[in-house]
Amino acid sequence: MGKVIVKVLIGLVAAAGFWFTSMAMGFPPVFQTMFIVFALTGTFVFLLLDVPHTTPPSGVVGLISVIGFFCLVGLGYGAAASLWPQFETGDEQEKIAKVLNGKENPLDPWNAEEITNRIKELDEKGKALAERMKNLGGDQSAVAAAAAVASVAPATGGGGEGGGGDIMKLGEEQWQLQECYNCHKIRGEGGKKRGPELDNIGSLLTMEEIKLKILDPKSFMAEGFEKEWEKGRMPDKFKDVMSDSEVVALATWLSEFKNTSVATPKPIKKK
Amino acid sequence: MNIPPRNLIGVMAFLALCVAGVSSVYAQAPGSPAVQFPYTGNRTAVWIVAQLHTLLGAFILGAPIFVVMAEWLGFRKQDPRYDRMAKEVTKITVILFSMTALTGGLFIFVLLATYPQFTTWFVNQFYMVFAVIYPLLFIVGTIVLYAYFYTWDAWKGEKKGRHIALGVLLNFLCMATMFVVNGPTSFMNTPVQVEGISAAEALAAASLWDKIANVSWMPLNLHRIDGNVAFGGFVVGLIAAYMYMGAKNSEERAYYDWMGFVGNLIAVGAMLLQPFTGLLLAYEMCDYDFSFCPYMMADQLSMFFEMQGAVIGVMFLGCNYYVWLNLRRIEGIENVRMTILAPIVMVLSPVVMVAVFTEYWIPEPMSLAFLVPFVLSPFIFGRFIPLTVSVETIMKVTFLMVVVSTAIWVIPNGFAATEGRLTEELQLPEAWEILGKMPTKLGAIFSLVFVTVVNYVLYGRVIRQGTIVWGKIDGVSQFLLIFLAFTSIWAMGLMGAVRSLLRKFFHSYNLIPDFTAESFTPTLSSSAWLITGIALVFFVIVSAAIFIALRSVVLKEREPEGVPVHAGNK
Repeated sequence: MGKVIVKVLIGLVAAAGFWFTSMAMGFPPVFQTMFIVFALTGTFVFLLLDVPHTTPPSGVVGLISVIGFFCLVGLGYGAAASLWPQFETGDEQEKIAKVLNGKENPLDPWNAEEITNRIKELDEKGKALAERMKNLGGDQSAVAAAAAVASVAPATGGGGEGGGGDIMKLGEEQWQLQECYNCHKIRGEGGKKRGPELDNIGSLLTMEEIKLKILDPKSFMAEGFEKEWEKGRMPDKFKDVMSDSEVVALATWLSEFKNTSVATPKPIKKK
Repeated sequence: MNIPPRNLIGVMAFLALCVAGVSSVYAQAPGSPAVQFPYTGNRTAVWIVAQLHTLLGAFILGAPIFVVMAEWLGFRKQDPRYDRMAKEVTKITVILFSMTALTGGLFIFVLLATYPQFTTWFVNQFYMVFAVIYPLLFIVGTIVLYAYFYTWDAWKGEKKGRHIALGVLLNFLCMATMFVVNGPTSFMNTPVQVEGISAAEALAAASLWDKIANVSWMPLNLHRIDGNVAFGGFVVGLIAAYMYMGAKNSEERAYYDWMGFVGNLIAVGAMLLQPFTGLLLAYEMCDYDFSFCPYMMADQLSMFFEMQGAVIGVMFLGCNYYVWLNLRRIEGIENVRMTILAPIVMVLSPVVMVAVFTEYWIPEPMSLAFLVPFVLSPFIFGRFIPLTVSVETIMKVTFLMVVVSTAIWVIPNGFAATEGRLTEELQLPEAWEILGKMPTKLGAIFSLVFVTVVNYVLYGRVIRQGTIVWGKIDGVSQFLLIFLAFTSIWAMGLMGAVRSLLRKFFHSYNLIPDFTAESFTPTLSSSAWLITGIALVFFVIVSAAIFIALRSVVLKEREPEGVPVHAGNK
């Protein structure tokens, strides 16, 4: 028992030490709590070392113990995972919906669902037309049929462009949707030095050149990022996942950044 | 064979549910929309069946490696315990082989019902694999497994070499099966990519081999090989724990105690390689598309990696605690001592490793130039230093350093699920940002592995110099074996989810977008509960297989032998 008390005391002293030292070092409370958890885990581990010898249960007691143990461990892992900060799925769902909006499904080139809907729609129109023909007489049928077809046609054409909109807004949206902020910093936000800071990119590259860089990451190399360029750190995927208008919008938006106080590295033409 | 029907109820109920859920696939007309799986949703339904299939597959591919190694050791050492263990594990493998095939079929049905367009496209991409190579390997593998099992008693003594050769052939087939199926699996993450042309064009120009041998294929193969061996070892530990608790006499207890010990030893040996092959896989994937890296480590999946660090840390603690409990019943332990340099190097290891990796990021050879002499120093220079410490001291330092290394591993750069939501209150102070950097994490992982290796080296010495009293191990150790088996499954489930989720909102990365409403990244919490549920179902299946395969043997052995009576005397 004496050993247990000593170990608990050491654990508590260590936990308190961690708390105050980390506070003095400027760690936010969430990290301080984490350090306490480490100290208590260590204490628990050292207490386990002194657990007296036991004999394992057998028979029905053994069976119940094993089932109970499985449930306990499962519950422990589920609960422990729930204690960590959780990702906000709603944000991503919204993002994905925007990214995929208007994109073609490569597995559905004829868009089976749309065709089915159109067939249904035409069928209904046809029925209505037949009804009208009955009421109006045969001479009106050609006109009515033409009108019906014309009314359906606009509903199936295009639709992806979304009626123009502000190109700058669209460009900024693409910055968010394509998660460029994960590597690049702009307006002091995002990035972890994985890619160059872009606040002055508009002074160094034209919109066309930025567009080229997005579509072919090897076309330009930022000074000081030779290793990253060599390893192809910037993903070569935007030509596949972005439409031309989206790339133009993003490039246009970026080309407006001309903050000379930020040392955006000089791009060197490579291709 | 005496199988009480109540033991099969759980398994049958689950299978019935799955079959009921997918039966509607047959009623579908071509081109009709996907089935909406009741209660769970489509993605979760696929997740459950796929993971269950993968777990069973991992066992049946990992167990034969374990089995042949054991059989060979038994033959070489002329120790019948190895042979018995190998045969018992093979019995369970035979049952689980059919369960793997069953869940594999179920997996295809569920995929066809829930994602018909993608599944058709995917099967077409790998037609030769799915229609010819994979089934052929599976069928031949099954035949060889049955032949291996049923020739066990016939090919004894002089013919043992022949039997071991058959086991090696079985392993070759199992390995080939895994390599083949890993092709399509890894393709979904890293499909063929050619600089300068679109992903669709690159795919159109690619051969079947190009599609299979994609950049993450070989790292995935390596990661799964040692993962499966480790997993096989832990499940052997689980079998031993069950049987130890159910043993009726001291011989049985001694045998199953030994079996748990061997299973754990092999599992830990393979587990020590896991972080490195996992790192290689992550490295290759990040090299393929760097956006995977922030997605994993700083964005949507960052907390998955926190959980992974915690789970692996707990596993290392568990393994070392098992050693501790084992040492308690070894006689002569007090005579074994180790150089004082060992604990010193162990205590210094996290700091030294973090410093080296910060300066020389792997695979720079300079990192090895510093670290190899450092980790070998207790073994090379230790003999020149007269000061030694006891086994208990080394063990305690090991526990301390496992806790410290795990703590370093799990300290996040920011306490938020996405980098975008970081505020100052959730972020490390600037002066301590190093704690959240990748070289620091790598240093912590290396340190964790290093202290465990030292512990096992010491353990080996104690086993050689002392006397193990088999059957007298602490009861807690049996729960520890169960815990390690569950934790290894859980970790596998978690990291499998990470690998799969890396495709983001694509079925096949950058090629086929997933237009369904479920293509977002799930939370760690919901994923964890799902993984827990799947792991529990898996254990119900494995426990049933153990009961069916081994319990009957025990019953048979206890049957009283009848005294022969002459027919005429009746």
